[in-house]
Amino acid sequence: MRTDVSRRMPLGILKRYDALLYPLVFISLLLVAWEVSVHVFDIPAYMLPAPSDVLDAMDSDLINHTWVTLQETLWGFLIANIAGFFVAVMFVHFRPVELSLFPVAIALKTTPLVALAPLLVVWLGTGMASKIAASALICFFPVLINSVKGLRSIDAESDELFRTYQASRQEIFWKLRLPASLPYVMSALKISSSLAVVGAIVGEFVGANAGLGYVVLVSSYHLDTDIMFSAIFAAAFIGLAFFWILEAIDRHFIFWQQEGAD
Amino acid sequence: MQSTAIQAPADSQGGNALVGDPLLTLQNCSLTLNDTHILRNIDLEIRQGEFVSIIGPSGCGKSTTLRLMLELLKPDADDSSGAGKVIFPKVRPRRGMAFQKPVLMPWLTVRGNVELSLSLGPQKTPQSLRRGKAEAALELVGLLAYANYYPKQLSGGMQQRVALARTLAAEPELLLMDEPFGALDEMTRDTLNLELLKLWENRANGLKSIVMVTHSLHEAVSLSDRVVVLSSRPAGIRTIIDVPLPKPRSAGFVSIEETQPYQQTIARLRRELHRED
Repeated sequence: MRTDVSRRMPLGILKRYDALLYPLVFISLLLVAWEVSVHVFDIPAYMLPAPSDVLDAMDSDLINHTWVTLQETLWGFLIANIAGFFVAVMFVHFRPVELSLFPVAIALKTTPLVALAPLLVVWLGTGMASKIAASALICFFPVLINSVKGLRSIDAESDELFRTYQASRQEIFWKLRLPASLPYVMSALKISSSLAVVGAIVGEFVGANAGLGYVVLVSSYHLDTDIMFSAIFAAAFIGLAFFWILEAIDRHFIFWQQEGAD
Repeated sequence: MQSTAIQAPADSQGGNALVGDPLLTLQNCSLTLNDTHILRNIDLEIRQGEFVSIIGPSGCGKSTTLRLMLELLKPDADDSSGAGKVIFPKVRPRRGMAFQKPVLMPWLTVRGNVELSLSLGPQKTPQSLRRGKAEAALELVGLLAYANYYPKQLSGGMQQRVALARTLAAEPELLLMDEPFGALDEMTRDTLNLELLKLWENRANGLKSIVMVTHSLHEAVSLSDRVVVLSSRPAGIRTIIDVPLPKPRSAGFVSIEETQPYQQTIARLRRELHRED
């Protein structure tokens, strides 16, 4: 919490960017320390390449692979969220659907994705489709659970209010359930954004000829640790950027509550 | 069937021929929910032009009685003394409900919240008229200047006023209120009661009758024409007391407690509430 005193100080303008400034300074220091240690202690490049070497390894090839992983991630994310929300709507409106599908959803959640990935490659090939499927599968459950929770989050009084005006089911859905669920859905999007990257990369580990997971795997065979690092950073960057974008959307559009959803 | 509970003298205001006609009647209404017997044989007639308060021990079924009037709940059909009925004159009066909590949608502006009551159900107002009606209702409660605010930017009292505006915007003939100011501090509550009284005396937006559930004897006596006293669960009507205070009351509202009829009515209600039977 910023106090009023700090706002009035000459450095006040900098204080507003605390959240950005502190991590940037810290990470820069870390990188410098890393660079120096590698040279001072003469650490072999296959164990730990210097940050400058990792930067050198970031070429147009890496951009192409990042693009592949990014596409898989986005498609997986999109499919999982649309499907997850749709199934959640079915759950909330049709009890038999929930009763029959919920155990399946739990089973899906408890099955390790790593165990399924080879099967997906067998079914869908080594192209993007198997990675999109892996990504969508890992995202699906959190989206479903949060959406159901959100759609059910309306209180008894709101429900009565709508019934007092003889609101139709459609009206209750569009004007009450849907907006009430948005904070929960937004958390689901944020959770699944990180998971989507994991799914895509696990898929690429199993069988691929492009993508960041593929780069990590191949570079490990050749001990090209600098390339491996560049790919790891790229993957982390996708996840981070994705999360930040969603966070910004959340703050802008779901202005009415941050609490309540998790 | 004529109820024994409602043989009160005719409305002292007289005059208007419509005043005094029944607007809604609960006839022999019992209610059992999940094997809990909540109401027993409630006979109550709400007439045009009257303000009725319902008091009784907490949890006795006061709110449930309102929900019967709103037809959110149905009276038991298989009561030993015949099926309960909610009876209306030829057409159902438009009913509006004010809850204890404001129940505002946090994602809608104040105006949007008020328009909500105009945009739901089979009798919704055409889109082009909603804004004007909503703003007129906000003007009634003195919050037009806050039309573009969001609920969380307003105090509890203001939120409750927005809720009242939302209810009034739909032009209810019968306004049902479930401890509408019960969650507010006493001063705010007093202010809002006076505002409600003025709206009522002006018959704002076509109001015909008000039924209010309350825990406060002061609220019941100072605002209403009749006070219905319910017994503990399963609640029946213990008695109905006419409030012998002159109308209109808003002018003398702040000193109403000093009058003798006020004090006598309060004392009578307390005796009824504490009576063992």
